[in-house]
Amino acid sequence: MSRFRVRVSNGSPGPARPACWALVALFVLSIVSPARAQPAPNLWFAGTWLVLERSQTRGGEIAVPTDDPALARFLAHLGATLSYDPAQRYAIVTTADYRTIAFTIGDKRYAVGAVTETAPFAPYVSGGEAYLPFVALAEALYVQPVSQADATVLQPQIASLDVRNEGRVSVVTLHGAATLRFKRLSAGSDGRLSLAFLGTASTLDPYRDVAGDGLRSISISVGGSVRNPTTTVTFQAPPGGLHALMPAGAPNALAVAFAPPGVPLTGTPVPASGVASVAAAGPAPVPTASEQTTGEYAPAGANVPAAEPSTYQAPGYAAPAPPAPASAQPVQVVNFESEQADQGLNVRVWLAGGSVAYEWHRLPDNRWYIDFKNATLAVAPQDETLQNDAVLSLRLKQVTLDPYPVVRVALSLATPRLVNLVPFDGGVTIAVDRLDDLAPAKVGIGTLSAGVLAAATPTDQTVDQTPAPIVEPTPWKFTPVPVVAYAAPNPRLIVIDPGHGGSDTGAMQRGLVEKELTLDISDRLRSLLVARGWLVKMTRDSDVDVFEPNDSAHDELQARCDIANRAGARMFISVHVNSYTSGSLNGTTTYYYKGVDLSLAQAIHSRLIESLGTADRGVRKENFYVIHHTVMPATLVETAFMSNAADAQLLRSPAWRQKVAGAIADGVGDYAGAPPPKSSAPAETSDTDTPVPDR
Amino acid sequence: MRLLRALVVVALFVVAVYYGYRVFAGRPRPVAAATVTVYYCKTDGETLVPWKLTLGPARDRKSVAFYAATQAVAGPSSDIDAIRFPSGTIVHAVDVDGSTAIVDLGGALAKPTAGSFAESAEFKALVWTLTALPGIGSVQVKLDGIRVPTLPGGHFELDEPLSRASF
Ligand SMILES: [Zn+2]
Repeated sequence: MSRFRVRVSNGSPGPARPACWALVALFVLSIVSPARAQPAPNLWFAGTWLVLERSQTRGGEIAVPTDDPALARFLAHLGATLSYDPAQRYAIVTTADYRTIAFTIGDKRYAVGAVTETAPFAPYVSGGEAYLPFVALAEALYVQPVSQADATVLQPQIASLDVRNEGRVSVVTLHGAATLRFKRLSAGSDGRLSLAFLGTASTLDPYRDVAGDGLRSISISVGGSVRNPTTTVTFQAPPGGLHALMPAGAPNALAVAFAPPGVPLTGTPVPASGVASVAAAGPAPVPTASEQTTGEYAPAGANVPAAEPSTYQAPGYAAPAPPAPASAQPVQVVNFESEQADQGLNVRVWLAGGSVAYEWHRLPDNRWYIDFKNATLAVAPQDETLQNDAVLSLRLKQVTLDPYPVVRVALSLATPRLVNLVPFDGGVTIAVDRLDDLAPAKVGIGTLSAGVLAAATPTDQTVDQTPAPIVEPTPWKFTPVPVVAYAAPNPRLIVIDPGHGGSDTGAMQRGLVEKELTLDISDRLRSLLVARGWLVKMTRDSDVDVFEPNDSAHDELQARCDIANRAGARMFISVHVNSYTSGSLNGTTTYYYKGVDLSLAQAIHSRLIESLGTADRGVRKENFYVIHHTVMPATLVETAFMSNAADAQLLRSPAWRQKVAGAIADGVGDYAGAPPPKSSAPAETSDTDTPVPDR
Repeated sequence: MRLLRALVVVALFVVAVYYGYRVFAGRPRPVAAATVTVYYCKTDGETLVPWKLTLGPARDRKSVAFYAATQAVAGPSSDIDAIRFPSGTIVHAVDVDGSTAIVDLGGALAKPTAGSFAESAEFKALVWTLTALPGIGSVQVKLDGIRVPTLPGGHFELDEPLSRASF
């Protein structure tokens, strides 16, 4: 198939006139009336006519206004969005797989991601709307016009097919114009997998050799009709191998992983039919009788979770170093020195007690730090400002101690510089070296033992990395916030804030509803705290909006803060459940904002991590409304991720939710001790303060 | 008759020059090709990764800010693990008031959404991207033209301008 241009006749030229007349007239016309309304050609797209009612033509090409309803339908079908503000000179389309197509008003050139293309005419503004070259836009969206006698058919394409080898596993990623809907034609023990993509054409090479252990070749054929094409992609893998769907991050992308015999593979078995969105896919559908299934797909036995798509982890993938088992004796930082070097600075860190896992980060603003995992500080922490051309300041600090000790060495560099880790017998030298403008923000991990560094693995090689602009160093995230003393008017009172409620459901995934979980956990927490002698006020104790039904976010969140502020509570605890668009994230996070919040957050977080069995996402500072606008020590607990299968399973368990409540209550005890005697506090009148029997 | 024709030619020429002047002088003066640094936040919620985009002929400041904001909202290509604005988020407009960029967002972002984790990371990437532009130090986020305390059903505070120090 070749590329087609949609052209519309401009009409016949006028009668003969002197040449200069014609030229001048054309020149003037081209300026004063650049476009004329012309009927657009008949366009057929996705099973129906696409009538661009308000389009114009320019130079025989379709110019479509940004507010044309048919353009909106076209984009919506492809999962793309258009951002255009008449005050700006760009009209930018974002595709479902996060590519951007940027048109500049008055310029023929347009950018598809990082690639510059040239359109047949420059986008222009007429009547307050921008007119874009429709065919150029369609092609950038992987939709190819094909001319027929009575119509131009806009065919969604499979536009790219990338193969990468991860260890012995081959992963093929297909990118299409629209959501990829497929049907499995065959998957047998001969190692062949054929997928038919419905409503999709392709101009990709019909055959491709793949030099991978997991996959040998790919062949592509296009069948069906012009208006309803089908592309069949056949993967030839070694017999006895495994294949599975992988998350590809976007509905119009599909990734299939192939492993040779004997190599384990995790992922979702390729179902008989489906759409590309793996994250949303449930268990593999049962093939129906009408399907041309010619073989049985053999999942990788115990390696394939039946219902749960999991994050694929290929051999050789550099996972972050896991925390050492709690039983392992921490390594000690026994000495720390810095000295001028030829090009920069050498920082020597002496370690005692065996091998140590480390993780370094290079941040975009020229900060660089290394964390030594399961390590404690045997020397005093340091925070020095240096008289050095390369390094502005140097810090050594015990970032966390309990439950898992981490020592951090942090450098604030004056300019982007190369930082090398050079092991010596008793430890490691952090060598700040020459200027390195091209170094991107990066992270690396590895271990250091007996003077040898292992597995320092830089990541992020996939992006076009460029140096970050030099900016003023921002405060360190772990810099303690100044603590302003707070004396609670009502020192026996704790306000519990069950997140969301009423018209605000909070997150909803996997059949779980945040507002219900937060209320349940808060109820359990109230019982425990009351039993331990605290007065408790809840911002809500049923499924309601705290301010009023369907109120604004401001009224709602401020109302929660007001309850605690007016009551003069000793602390404020907001209970939430996290969620994310993919199932890959998990764990418990405890947030603080104000200086007075930190020790409360730390106390609660330690207990949560100790008892819940969730991943530790740490104590983080974040400007969350309810912890910012409360005056007393406040914390927001994100108990777990309902979007993650394992966390969701925990959240479903009443026993686990009771554990959450218990850990928070224990944290409160660690932070504040026992509640002060009754006489020291004014009595609360709300009935939520009445002690209720423990469950 | 010849004179008349000559006059018409001259008249047309004058008109052409006039419109030519209107069209070309009215355009913002293109400066040299510009690059913008766009950031995305890794799924640890903490680490920012920059990448650089070259704009065609760079335009006025607001347009460049609009371009950069759109790129930050779109995020990196889909094969990169990044925390992303909800698919279908639209940048309505970007205005610049002194050193504050005012970014009006909408589309999918205006629907009640997910947990707190992604919220701050999304805005962190947007704020770092816009404040990488010369002269911009902070970002005021609006949702469908209105200043909001948080996203609907959200957590992260948006009612005051955000700067790099907000994260
Ligand atoms: Zn929440």
